[in-house]
Amino acid sequence: MLQCIFLLSDSGEVMLEKQLTGHRVDRSICAWFWDQIISQGDSLKLVPVIASPTHYLFQVVREGITFLACTQVEMPPLMAIEFLSRVADVLSDYLGSLNEDLIKDNFVIVYELLDEMIDNGFPLTTEPNILREMIAPPNIVSKVLSVVTGNVSNVSNTLPGATASCVPWRKTDLKHTSNEVYVDLVEEMDAIINRDGTLVKCEIYGEVQVNSHLSGLPDLTLSFANPSILNDARFHPCVRLRPWEANQILSFVPPDGEFKLMSYRVKKLKSTPIYVKPQLSSDSGTCRISVLVGIRNDPGKSIDSITVQFQLPPCILSADLSANHGTVNILADKTCSWSIGRIPKDKAPSMAGTMTLETGLERLNVFPTFQVSFRIMGVALSGLQIDKLDLKNLPSRPYKGFRALTRAGEFEVRS
Amino acid sequence: MAVGKCARDPSVYVRKCAANALSKLHDLRLEEHTASIEEIVGILLNDNSPGVVGAAAASFASVCPNNLSLIGRNYRKLCEILPDVEEWGQIVLVGILLRYVVAKHGLVEGSIMLYSCSLVKYNSEREDLKPRLAMTENPDDVGGEICSEIADVVSRSYLEGPEKYLSRLSCMDKNTSMDISHSTSSKSNDDVKILLQCTSPLLWSHNSAVVLAAAGVHWIMAPKEDVKKIVKPLLFLLRSSNASKYVVLCNIQVFAKAMPSLFVPHFENFFVNSSDSYQVKALKLEILSSIATYSSISAIFLEFQDYIRDQDRRFAADTVAAIGLCSQRLPDVAKTCLEGLLALALSESSNKNGASADEEAVLVQAINSIKTIIKQDPPSHEKVIVSLVRSLDSIWAPAARAMIIWMVGEYNNIGGVISKILPTLFSYLAGRFTLEAAETKLQILNACAKVLLRAKGEDISILKKIAGYLLELAKCDISYDVRDRARIMSNLLSHLIGSPYLEEVQDKPEIKDLSYVLIESIFGGQTKLPSSEPLSYRFYLPGSLSQIVLHAAPGYEPLPEPCSLIYDESCNFSTDVQGIKSPGVGVAHNEPNENDDSEAVSGSLDEENTSDYSSQESMIGSSESGGSYISRSASDVNDNAGPLIHLSDADLIHGNGAEVSEENDPSGSNGADELMSKGALESWLDENSGLNQNSSDISHVRKSLARISIKDIGGLVKPKSYTLLDPANGNGLHVDYIFSSEVSSVSPQLVCLHISFRNCSKEPMSDILLFEGESDRSPDSSDQSVSESSPVSRSEVPTLVPMEEIENLEPGQTMKRILQVRFQHHLLPLKLVLVSNGRKHLVKLRPDIGYFVKPLPMDIEEFSNKESRLPGMFEYTRRCTFTDHISELNDKNESSLVKDNFLLICEKLALKMLSNANLFLVSVEMPVAANLDDLSGLCLRFSGEILSNSMPCLITLTLKGTCSEPLDVSVKINCEETVFGLNLLNRIVNFLAEPTP
Repeated sequence: MLQCIFLLSDSGEVMLEKQLTGHRVDRSICAWFWDQIISQGDSLKLVPVIASPTHYLFQVVREGITFLACTQVEMPPLMAIEFLSRVADVLSDYLGSLNEDLIKDNFVIVYELLDEMIDNGFPLTTEPNILREMIAPPNIVSKVLSVVTGNVSNVSNTLPGATASCVPWRKTDLKHTSNEVYVDLVEEMDAIINRDGTLVKCEIYGEVQVNSHLSGLPDLTLSFANPSILNDARFHPCVRLRPWEANQILSFVPPDGEFKLMSYRVKKLKSTPIYVKPQLSSDSGTCRISVLVGIRNDPGKSIDSITVQFQLPPCILSADLSANHGTVNILADKTCSWSIGRIPKDKAPSMAGTMTLETGLERLNVFPTFQVSFRIMGVALSGLQIDKLDLKNLPSRPYKGFRALTRAGEFEVRS
Repeated sequence: MAVGKCARDPSVYVRKCAANALSKLHDLRLEEHTASIEEIVGILLNDNSPGVVGAAAASFASVCPNNLSLIGRNYRKLCEILPDVEEWGQIVLVGILLRYVVAKHGLVEGSIMLYSCSLVKYNSEREDLKPRLAMTENPDDVGGEICSEIADVVSRSYLEGPEKYLSRLSCMDKNTSMDISHSTSSKSNDDVKILLQCTSPLLWSHNSAVVLAAAGVHWIMAPKEDVKKIVKPLLFLLRSSNASKYVVLCNIQVFAKAMPSLFVPHFENFFVNSSDSYQVKALKLEILSSIATYSSISAIFLEFQDYIRDQDRRFAADTVAAIGLCSQRLPDVAKTCLEGLLALALSESSNKNGASADEEAVLVQAINSIKTIIKQDPPSHEKVIVSLVRSLDSIWAPAARAMIIWMVGEYNNIGGVISKILPTLFSYLAGRFTLEAAETKLQILNACAKVLLRAKGEDISILKKIAGYLLELAKCDISYDVRDRARIMSNLLSHLIGSPYLEEVQDKPEIKDLSYVLIESIFGGQTKLPSSEPLSYRFYLPGSLSQIVLHAAPGYEPLPEPCSLIYDESCNFSTDVQGIKSPGVGVAHNEPNENDDSEAVSGSLDEENTSDYSSQESMIGSSESGGSYISRSASDVNDNAGPLIHLSDADLIHGNGAEVSEENDPSGSNGADELMSKGALESWLDENSGLNQNSSDISHVRKSLARISIKDIGGLVKPKSYTLLDPANGNGLHVDYIFSSEVSSVSPQLVCLHISFRNCSKEPMSDILLFEGESDRSPDSSDQSVSESSPVSRSEVPTLVPMEEIENLEPGQTMKRILQVRFQHHLLPLKLVLVSNGRKHLVKLRPDIGYFVKPLPMDIEEFSNKESRLPGMFEYTRRCTFTDHISELNDKNESSLVKDNFLLICEKLALKMLSNANLFLVSVEMPVAANLDDLSGLCLRFSGEILSNSMPCLITLTLKGTCSEPLDVSVKINCEETVFGLNLLNRIVNFLAEPTP
């Protein structure tokens, strides 16, 4: 089981240390870890499991903050990783976002949260709703109060009722004046287009996000018009699996607030909404590049915030790029990003320019990969449609809302 | 203890916290509490609430991961509750259940784990040409789908741990197949089926660790047609965070290696994204190359072509290596691969000015891949070598050059073309020799030797000249290695080159031959087909940390030995108090009343006879075994009584009563205790059948039991003696004390002690006195005051009833006194002052809770009556191991005396109990149906009464295990006074577990 959790800032400083068992883990392990990171470069930063001479380390990096957990004995590594990412999620939920200052400002809360989330190295309560009930999130009022009264603890004295109930993710006695439930389909399109322009892989990763503000203990049933297109699915623990197995119906008692009801995958899609056509040609030390972007399949709604990003190859000394629409930025780490926004009706956006290669290099031998991002409101590109949402066990008729959104996930165009 | 109470708390949350607390308690390493902690874990695992079970599973894993019998009791319930357990608990619980099933039922026939061994068996059958067993499935049906060799290694590694397996590999024949008899079929076995059923919903969990754990179960237990189920969930995990992606890929890699067919249709999922980290990319490549098939290879190669142009040159180099691997797996595409690689190598080499280490890696890897491809079929790829040689001028990386030269040397005579270019090539190489890197130089020398050996015709003279020139050059090289190599070469090749220096060697033909043979064997070893390298992969259980770091992390345990958990359910039931078939209760109901006094009589009788006991051991032993034999046959014979009959010690005692007239003959009566003479049996049966009619309503079908009476044990009881004062501290006075079984006449709260004083010094001692130490008064007055207060007053019982003062103790003399003490607390020591020769010694008298009770004579019926009145919270159970009998048994084997093992063990146990606690042995029962060596179900009952408040205290020992092994003893105490009972329980467990010196 986990023995210790450290939070490191992006400069390697130990911001927080939480010992979990009787066997103290020395802080020097962090120094060792940071030395490794510095000596091995960024490549190590991405290995989640590291065997140090004394401990096994698990790391999850979120927004510059490294969550480091140590153990000395065998345990499922995914458990540690999953837990660390859960901690990161909860913290960013509590603190609004994650950064060094925020964590330093809210030490007490972070410690309290960790206290509740893990006990003796074994994860305890990780359900955000329950945690919220036990430990009040920080806000101005509580800060003022704590300063005035000197009472720093914001751990509530009563035990959340749900710990004893059979639906541990929901408070037992909830009351909302307005009964509302929103269901959002958020989809991400992953695609790989190879250098011939053919679609190698195109699939949708989607999530059904529910935001429920319902009183009592409601029982919801969500059904899809075309569940057969779903390739894989994963569910929130509140979903009853039997009805899904039988009729592909989602039946659940929702937690309060926002949560991810299910995630799914739809594979083997035939086309992408936009096309990106890069062309690179190099000769005698210079390289010409041109990128064309346009709509291939109109989804019916406007496509927003299109950006094309790519890493200039290391052998390029300088680049001069310009676009007829949108702005082109080249960052210090040789990342070039072209933000287009919306595609204008009258012209097809294009970017062109020349790049100088390193001296002695005749032709370009490595080619960049273009990452495309976009957003389409109101459309689920997978074609998944919600059929109906039934609510039972409710005092009054609730308001139901549906939304859909598609954005680009790992959308890559190779050149 | 508090935790134990909490474990029965009505609130779910409290029970959950109790479960969490257990592992912390365990960490404190309180050895004497481990058994009770395990008990509580068992209770909590039996809980109805999923939350509690999850936490209990976690503590089970940390407290007693190998006590799988705890799981056995409520396996089914655990399986059913599994989907509702919170996610973290699921991870642990799945692992535990998997271990249990493997230990209980072994591996599943037709699963990946057993596939390979069935294949091996099949092959061996074919070789033997005598089919032994019709296999359930024909391995040829699925031939090729599963890489059987790797699967075999995987499954063995899971079971034994890779270190052990790999070390064994070297010394043992690989074909020793696993014992297939330990397998079970998932279709027929409900336990396996239910596990698979209950874990399959977990594959939809949104916690990736849960999914992986569930996938691991299916991987190991499911029949291989059903393993497909895990593929999609596993692949879906790849969409989660980068960190878990890496771990999942590590596991998929193993799955894919052992059973490529699983992932073949899903190769697209392993296409690399530019955002992946290098490690993830490399893993994906490896998986891709191991699952490539002829249908997917074209798409995969297209991908690879893109990867080669990737910015990360390390990754590009890996891609090239992967291409080599693919072509090795699929020989048909080798040609395409080769062309592609050649083009790549040439284009890379043309780019020589952008010299960086990473670029070089790609080129070297390309040449390496070419080399491996050529190795498979050298003659058809001659042209490739030639074209490589042609481009040698532009290939600058020393490693690459060295490899090309190696190829030339190795394949110099496979076709006509290479041998033609050899002279030109070598003169070119010789010209550039000084410019080469050391690595290349060595290769040039080697190749040169190889070429020389096979050279024919007119080339030989040119080659000889070149070789001589090269060797001369090499001898003056700056690198030691090159110089050394050159010297060896010139010696070996001397007769070929005709070197002028070594004529004397040439004179001796045998040496010449030798050197020739040597050269032949070193360089002439013509292209052997690459022997299949031993698989050095290490496989650990899926989802384990060890699999990721590729060495066994501390605490890693392979799966338990299949079917290592074999004892049947019934013994589990017997420990279960509420079990309907509980033999103890059943017997008690049927107890004839008239046995009360006869037992008591025989008890007292035996104490008289103990002096004779030792001489009659052998006879008793044999008669006892005879008796048990008869009893068994009797239960078979008597159909009318049939299942209603159970043999209890009623018969023995009855027999004893019948032969009471023979009392004068000690051997006769003693034997009768053990012996169930046929007449006595019959008479008992008659009586019993009458009884059965009377009490037919309460007699159910139950296990037949025989009771053994060990009445002769009293004299063997040797109470343990403790040292109060040792001579070193007491000026030569040695004081021992023994708790005696006598009951104080003064007050029931007093415990009697025998104290023996021994003078070890050389001078006489006088005025030895023991008195209470905490009083402020002077020794003399305290003596008086104590003696004054000795009459029992209602309000106060004295701490110490003083002993008579020992006036004088001569050297070497020993005197005994009886002391009556009232301990304030049954665990804390009492401080006393010992005066001798006018000096005071502070001593501590440690209480023994075993003597805070006095024997409470009762019969078995009364016992069970009382027991049934003290259920629930008045009942405490712990387990321990009893090992005393083993040494005894070993001794016995050597001696010629034949004594029944059962009896011996019973005696040992009873003796130990009675020597350490002041108890009454109520009964000894053993199951008749059990086989000779199996002690499971043997049950000893003791009773006692707490001195201070006369509350009864009932102790039951139940044994499990076989004669020759350490016995698992479960000790149960029923006592109204909780604290006392628990302390007594701990005491009993402690002394039972500690071996007698």
